[in-house]
Amino acid sequence: MNILRQIELEHMKPAIPDFGIGDSVDVHYLIKEGDKERVQLFSGTVISFQGSGTRRSATIRRLVAGEGVERTFPLHSPRVADIAVKERGIVRRAKLYYLREREGKATRLDPNLGKHQYPRAGKGSGLSKGDAAPAQ
Amino acid sequence: MSLGSATLGILGKKIGMTQIFSNDGNVVPVTVVQAGPCRVLQVKMATAAEHPEGHRTASTNLGKKRGRQNRPRAADGYYAVQLGFDDKPARVSSKAELGAAKKAGLEAGKRFVREFRLAAAPTQKPGDEVTVALLGSTSHVDVTGTTKGRGWAGTIKRWSFSRQPTSHGNSLNHRTGGGLGRQHSISSGVPRGKRMAGHYGVEKVTVQRLEVVKIDEARNLVYLRGAVPGHNNGYLVLRKTVKNDRAVDIKPGLVVKNAAQKAVAGKAAKK
Repeated sequence: MNILRQIELEHMKPAIPDFGIGDSVDVHYLIKEGDKERVQLFSGTVISFQGSGTRRSATIRRLVAGEGVERTFPLHSPRVADIAVKERGIVRRAKLYYLREREGKATRLDPNLGKHQYPRAGKGSGLSKGDAAPAQ
Repeated sequence: MSLGSATLGILGKKIGMTQIFSNDGNVVPVTVVQAGPCRVLQVKMATAAEHPEGHRTASTNLGKKRGRQNRPRAADGYYAVQLGFDDKPARVSSKAELGAAKKAGLEAGKRFVREFRLAAAPTQKPGDEVTVALLGSTSHVDVTGTTKGRGWAGTIKRWSFSRQPTSHGNSLNHRTGGGLGRQHSISSGVPRGKRMAGHYGVEKVTVQRLEVVKIDEARNLVYLRGAVPGHNNGYLVLRKTVKNDRAVDIKPGLVVKNAAQKAVAGKAAKK
């Protein structure tokens, strides 16, 4: 097995929450304030995934006071504590950049009742059939 | 070259680059290098007497008619250790390589062989193994490799020249090197060393002071912060840096690689 992939597997989280493009999620992000750590929530729509392996990241978009805010989270970062899915959405493309031109009600997506397939967070994990599970 | 800082280094191979997270969640760009295991192929001594095989005579082949002759072993005139890395099958090793390998107790030659000059007589003996553990007390290394070949490259890529305007009346002179300098009245001809297009890459380059992020002795790997010259699987020479090798540079929360550094990092944190 490719050494580099093995190394990436060791530095990846064993599992990341299953969510996909168009889902509404809450990202639990650890923030350091002096000596204390607290969890900050960032809620929004998943509009894009980038990268593979340890570099896999997701861009989340939300509207704050009418202004669009996007944040990109490295999914395997120890600071991303959890990603909770609030609602799944039906989408027909891998990147929802068209939402950037929309405001208000136009940004709503149809709820996905489970049949629809779309790119998921776990894709591009670098794992292929026959690869050993990461040694932890 | 000053021999004051000359220490033994290690030979390796670039595996590739990736990102890992430090303990506090910062992304660290790392190059993974397979360093060793290397074999000591030869040891060079300033005087013949110091040589572990000093008592032996070296045989010299003087040609068909004059035959082999034994003569006293000559001194090398300097201290050095010659390391070999990456096994080469016996069938592709030359006879000379096989002979040299035999002296180090090996069956076949090595693909990458380099010599490290030392300030004092080396303690290693031919056949000894050198592993990544050598870098255990080093916080920063200098890495020498061969850069990627870029073929015949223009002045923009090769010397970072600026390009010329794409429009405003400019024609056919967008990426050209421009004038060659000199005015007719002063002297004619092109100044020596004028930067022009030509072959670029495939040159020996040393990157100084790369931080050693992590050492994996089980797999002979070392993780270096930042990039290293050349393509993946390219051969590298790793040495303790000639620049400041201070462990205090470790930022709090960064991956601390061994106990010695932990102690230093702890002290820095107390201050």
